[in-house]
Amino acid sequence: MTAYVLRRLGVSVLTLLLASVLVFVALQALPGDLATQLLGRDATPDAVAALREQLGLDRPAWERYLGWLGAALTGDLGTSLVSGDPVTADLAVHLRNTLLVAGPAVLVGIPLAVALGVVAGLYRDRAPDLVISTICLVGMSVPEFVVATVLVLLLAITVPLAPAVVLDGPTAPVADLAGAIWLPAIALTTVMAAYIVRMARAGVIDTMGSEFVTTATLKGVPRGRIVLAHVLPSALLPTLNVIAVNLAWLIGGAVVVEAVFNYPGVGTLMLRAVQNRDVPTLQAVAVLGAVVYVVVNLAADLAAMALDPRLRSTR
Amino acid sequence: MPVTLTRRAALRGGLAGLGLAGLGAAGLTGCGGAPATAAIPEAGPAGPARRGGRMVIARPPASGAETLDPASSLSAYEYLGALYDRLVVLDDTGAAVPGLAESWESTPDARTWRFRLRRGVTFHHGRELTAADAVHTLRRILDPATSSPMAGVFAGLLEPAGLSAPDRYTLQVALAKPAAELPSLLSGYQCGVLPASGEIGVGTGPFVLGGFTPAGRGGVTAHEDHWAGRPHLDEIAFASVADAQARTNALLAGQVHLLMQTNLDTATARVVASSPRTTVARSRNAQWYTIPMLATAAPFTDPAVRDAVRLAYDPQAVLDTAARDAGVVGGDNPVPPEQRDWVSTLRPRDPDRARSLLRRAGAEGLELDVYTSAYDPLFTPVAVAFADSLADAGIRARLVTAPADSYYTQVWMTRPLCVSYWFTGRPIDQLLNQIFRSGSSYNESAWADPRFDAMLDAARAETDAARRRTLYQDAQRYVATHGSALTPMFADRLVGMSRDVRGYREHGFEFDYRGLGFA
Repeated sequence: MTAYVLRRLGVSVLTLLLASVLVFVALQALPGDLATQLLGRDATPDAVAALREQLGLDRPAWERYLGWLGAALTGDLGTSLVSGDPVTADLAVHLRNTLLVAGPAVLVGIPLAVALGVVAGLYRDRAPDLVISTICLVGMSVPEFVVATVLVLLLAITVPLAPAVVLDGPTAPVADLAGAIWLPAIALTTVMAAYIVRMARAGVIDTMGSEFVTTATLKGVPRGRIVLAHVLPSALLPTLNVIAVNLAWLIGGAVVVEAVFNYPGVGTLMLRAVQNRDVPTLQAVAVLGAVVYVVVNLAADLAAMALDPRLRSTR
Repeated sequence: MPVTLTRRAALRGGLAGLGLAGLGAAGLTGCGGAPATAAIPEAGPAGPARRGGRMVIARPPASGAETLDPASSLSAYEYLGALYDRLVVLDDTGAAVPGLAESWESTPDARTWRFRLRRGVTFHHGRELTAADAVHTLRRILDPATSSPMAGVFAGLLEPAGLSAPDRYTLQVALAKPAAELPSLLSGYQCGVLPASGEIGVGTGPFVLGGFTPAGRGGVTAHEDHWAGRPHLDEIAFASVADAQARTNALLAGQVHLLMQTNLDTATARVVASSPRTTVARSRNAQWYTIPMLATAAPFTDPAVRDAVRLAYDPQAVLDTAARDAGVVGGDNPVPPEQRDWVSTLRPRDPDRARSLLRRAGAEGLELDVYTSAYDPLFTPVAVAFADSLADAGIRARLVTAPADSYYTQVWMTRPLCVSYWFTGRPIDQLLNQIFRSGSSYNESAWADPRFDAMLDAARAETDAARRRTLYQDAQRYVATHGSALTPMFADRLVGMSRDVRGYREHGFEFDYRGLGFA
């Protein structure tokens, strides 16, 4: 068990390294660099050359990457080329903001989604399932920016319950942001929950048709006990990975939803870093995204092992 | 009975539901929302502004590297006019009128100028404005270390040594060449006067800096001792909102009162104008759309091809498609019609002659790629109408949509044919020299014509105002018939604001912060 976790973590380090190389190469492949992006139409050759020299962009790409990697290994993610602030602090404050939105979405959204999925699965093709499945299909089919915009229309403009956009910058105190997190949280929950509900429903339907459930039913085990003790552990196995991917999406950058609400989270940080070709910031976001991805997937696999004895015995 | 539910069916049902939900506020995305008859107001709310109040203004942040340095190319534009005054400002006909300089005169050869400064003007930190501050401000712009976009305007004209302060309230400017339009050149928003002591963010303007975060929140408070009188507002809060739709949503939800540097597209403007809380004003002909034909790239190296395209395309169709009643036809003349030296260069289009020109140039059945992007909402409508109208002369034009975030680094001034725009408001001498003179870094069509350059030099050296006007009019006619950049239209900027905003006045780069207020 311990060896398994250690092996997974070892592979993860390789994943992180690959992610950082890929992001760096991808950014080099994008047209333009920080100097031309910042200066825009004022990018006269002299101004571009001066800014490049000032930022060290005139050094070869591999040299810049190795310099970044060396510093990153000692825990120094560098300074943003745009603002000159340490990337670590910048990332931390945006991550805090993202967690403010992701927290309610995860704590309320995931249990609710799993519960709805189980109900839909148990009442397959009957009224509760039809209602839940319809809502979910709509949630999956409508792009997230439409969900977000409709929420703004209904809950900010028509009935002014919450602010439409966040006017505060990333470093605003939590108390100032607290009023503004609800619409983005609802939007994220809606989009995320739909997939989880569908997955949980499919899992429950699958398991309910399996032989051991039939056996338990014939044996006279009460239905409640069958569902909780026998069906749920098996039915939730595939759902765990869907939950993991959604968690990574939530934390690693819900770019579109954040843009609609002007919310200063990780997604906004990433979008701005790409637009400005701010390599150190984008590298940091990519590493964070990779870390989150690796960790939640590992957690999902460990949880699967806890739920399913067969997975444990094969190791 | 099992009911099968497909993604397609769900989407159809779901969107019907969304449509119902959208009826209340006429649809934010502009698809089938407000009735097409809802007119966009000609002007903002009229009436006197009361004293006091705090206005929240949403602005598009330039980048995380924004600065309050007015001379910089990374400046946070919306703060500049509130914090700083300039020596000279432009009225709405483009004439230079007194700002911090109350009068000026030149020697008869227009090479040595004296600007007399207002007395009793104080900076926000209390010190009095003197000529040394004006010298410092202009020397900073000329300093290569500042890399000011304004430096190029003074290149070859003004050296740091030419600036002096013969007395406490007189700025003397000795030029290397005559420039009869020098005062207007000092009206650029990059020329905000800074104190010689070197602080940035301190000016003599109508508002005092309260706070500033690049790409974040900031604010300014009334400068009680402003030389022209205290502004109406007590305070302006600036909020940075990168996404234009999010900015509009903030306005519709009542979180902000005014959207600066935001041109609402027609559909969004109708929604904003029909909301009970908000309305739309116009900054007349605030931008001019241009289609530069890169004179250094095939096929536009041949002047006959440029002439043919100019004769073939239909500016009226471009205007009707892209701006409808919120603009005017440009006539390939970049000088806006409000400008006092403007001359009409409109002439009928002639696709048949274009066709014969192309035949003679051996370019019959010309095929062109027209680059456009989502950088500005009107680019693609302009490109579509332009490309369609070329068909009348047998030119086949294909649209190519390029990514918005690298449009100005990878397409503009690189591809032979693209759609672009400029904000109007440059004084006429700067406009023609900066964007059309051979070798200027902003000369987007890379057009190089010694005759035209000589016309600009002659106009610049002419001290008689009436004769200078004639020379500038000749230059306009020349650029409209021989130039390599097409100017199909001028378009109003549609500015969204709360209905209780009063005193919104903006033309070119002049924004009246002092007059802005609430009902």
